[in-house]
Amino acid sequence: MSPIDWIIMLGTLLGIVAYGVWKTRKVDSVQSYLLGDRDLPWWTIGLSIMATQASAITFLSTPGQAYESGMGFAQFYFGLPLAMVILAIFFLPIYYRLKVYTAYEYLESRFDLKTRTLTAILFLVQRGLAAGLTIYAPAIILSTILGWNLQLTILFIGAVVIFYTVMGGTKAVSVTQKQQMIIILGGMFIAAIITLFKLPEDVSFSDTLNIAGKMGKLEVVDFNFDLSKRYNIWSGMIGGVFLFLSYFGTDQSQVQRYLSGKSLTESRLGLLFNGIFKVPMQFSVLFVGILVFIFFLFTKPPVHFNKGNINSLKGTQSELAYQDLEQQYDRVFESKKIAVNDLMTAFDNENQTAIAAAQTRVNNFQEQENLIRTEVDNLIVKENPSAKTKDTDYVFITFIMNYLPVGLIGLLLAVIFSAAMSSTASELNALATTTVIDLYKRSIVTEKSDAHYLSASKWITIMWGGVALIFASTAGLFDNLIQAVNIIGSLFYGAILGIFLLAFFFQKRDSKSLTLGSFTGAVLGAIAVGLYTGELNADAAIFGGVMGGLLGLIAIYAFFRGISSNAVFYGAVLGEIAVLYIFYLNSNGTINISYLWLNLIGCVLVILFAMILQATGLAGKVNR
Amino acid sequence: KSYKEDPPPIFQSWNQMYVFVLVLHIIIVSLFYMAYS
Repeated sequence: MSPIDWIIMLGTLLGIVAYGVWKTRKVDSVQSYLLGDRDLPWWTIGLSIMATQASAITFLSTPGQAYESGMGFAQFYFGLPLAMVILAIFFLPIYYRLKVYTAYEYLESRFDLKTRTLTAILFLVQRGLAAGLTIYAPAIILSTILGWNLQLTILFIGAVVIFYTVMGGTKAVSVTQKQQMIIILGGMFIAAIITLFKLPEDVSFSDTLNIAGKMGKLEVVDFNFDLSKRYNIWSGMIGGVFLFLSYFGTDQSQVQRYLSGKSLTESRLGLLFNGIFKVPMQFSVLFVGILVFIFFLFTKPPVHFNKGNINSLKGTQSELAYQDLEQQYDRVFESKKIAVNDLMTAFDNENQTAIAAAQTRVNNFQEQENLIRTEVDNLIVKENPSAKTKDTDYVFITFIMNYLPVGLIGLLLAVIFSAAMSSTASELNALATTTVIDLYKRSIVTEKSDAHYLSASKWITIMWGGVALIFASTAGLFDNLIQAVNIIGSLFYGAILGIFLLAFFFQKRDSKSLTLGSFTGAVLGAIAVGLYTGELNADAAIFGGVMGGLLGLIAIYAFFRGISSNAVFYGAVLGEIAVLYIFYLNSNGTINISYLWLNLIGCVLVILFAMILQATGLAGKVNR
Repeated sequence: KSYKEDPPPIFQSWNQMYVFVLVLHIIIVSLFYMAYS
């Protein structure tokens, strides 16, 4: 890295932090520390929501994912706009009417203290671990490629975030996120333009699309229904709606962003802004990965992108075998390059036969390259059994460091750090708010002055920052833990959402309970039909139909009865146990369901168990 | 009501705004669905 890059990177990062701390130097009450005086306009809320969701991994991994397996990941976000509209209609008015600090506070006024405390603790466990990973994930990639010390990189991200989050609270988070998001969007836009100019002169933009399409990279929409495949339009539209409803509606790190809005209208507009721009933004980030893929068709990429793994082969018995594979790779790459040029010529001549022939050759060479890459992976594992051979996370950063001009490298590193910091700041801020409002002030130390709770909020923010840092600096020791945290959201989100849906929709003689019950029933029916058409599985169709009908009946029952707080609490406990059991079956290979679906399953099970407890009279009287 | 529910800017009612957002999203997804395979 050149001095210019260092100056641009550190200048950008520290400038934003200094501005954030200076702007919030007058925060002197719990209300303004935790809710930021509720004065944010819609566009700040929108940027803040996007900055919270987009972590460093979004910008490091997403282009690599497109490089490896194409644009299908965009489908993950297809359910988001619908979730935003549902939140704007049902969730926001209730939060605003009750003037809550946290989402969980509402659960006590609707049900009781134990339901509120259970949900708050579920959130703290999940988010507390995830915050550590938000810091660790980019630090391990950057330290490998740039040769930095891993612990120092973690400490740098953590210390800066803790500093401004403790100093200025929610307001500092929002103020800095606005600036960070501008850097992120600007940096990615410039990177896309520069990458386009980096392609050989005779490769036009339509050539890029044609080649990427013929190599199977532009399949944005996949209609095949397969429960075990992670991204298709069904998992995105159905599983995604439930995931984003619970993430944006019940995860305090997001709820806090729009609760600090000026009014209900501003918050709604902020959410809808996110709903409209999120999908195109992710599409653009993925498309940068496609451009990098095309770039590496004409410039030879490393046979394996994780430099650390390749360095570990030096001086071992496998070194000669690796050099041999590298020479094979060079030859295949050169042949592939000729085939790609033939493909472009065939496009120019509009000769369909030649296009098909060249396409077959290109894809054959690509297959050969993949086989060589797999053999290199095997060598790495042979020499170091605990090594990670998945190198898609390293593709984009390798491209940045080796092929982008001085100055832009510093800017893009600032983008990655900004994304890590903006997400971590929201998480720490929300963890502290939930701890203070839902546990400390509610059940532990209840009658103290405002100043006491303000200083408690600051100390608790420091504590959660410490937890995140400790987890980040030891995460490398627990490989399985990292995978677990990545899916831990799906394990808890469904149950939390189930509790909230019961709260919102199951009031006596309230047509909303009918709507929700029928909707859930319809969703299950749709899944059944999808299974039926996708795999001709009659059992699944019958199962879905029966479950759908059952939920419809239960909804009618709820219409006349309502739901008691005990039914919700024990229904949630049972539902969560069931989800963990399904996860256990999944991890030992008995069943194979993509994690995205666990959100839906958890949510439906909690509602189902609560209704059964209510219907059998095990749960006591109804409160509303 | 202890909070005020104002109509959204540009549109006459919130429902119109929601429909606009969803229709826009459907158009975007349709564009993605729409050539290079």
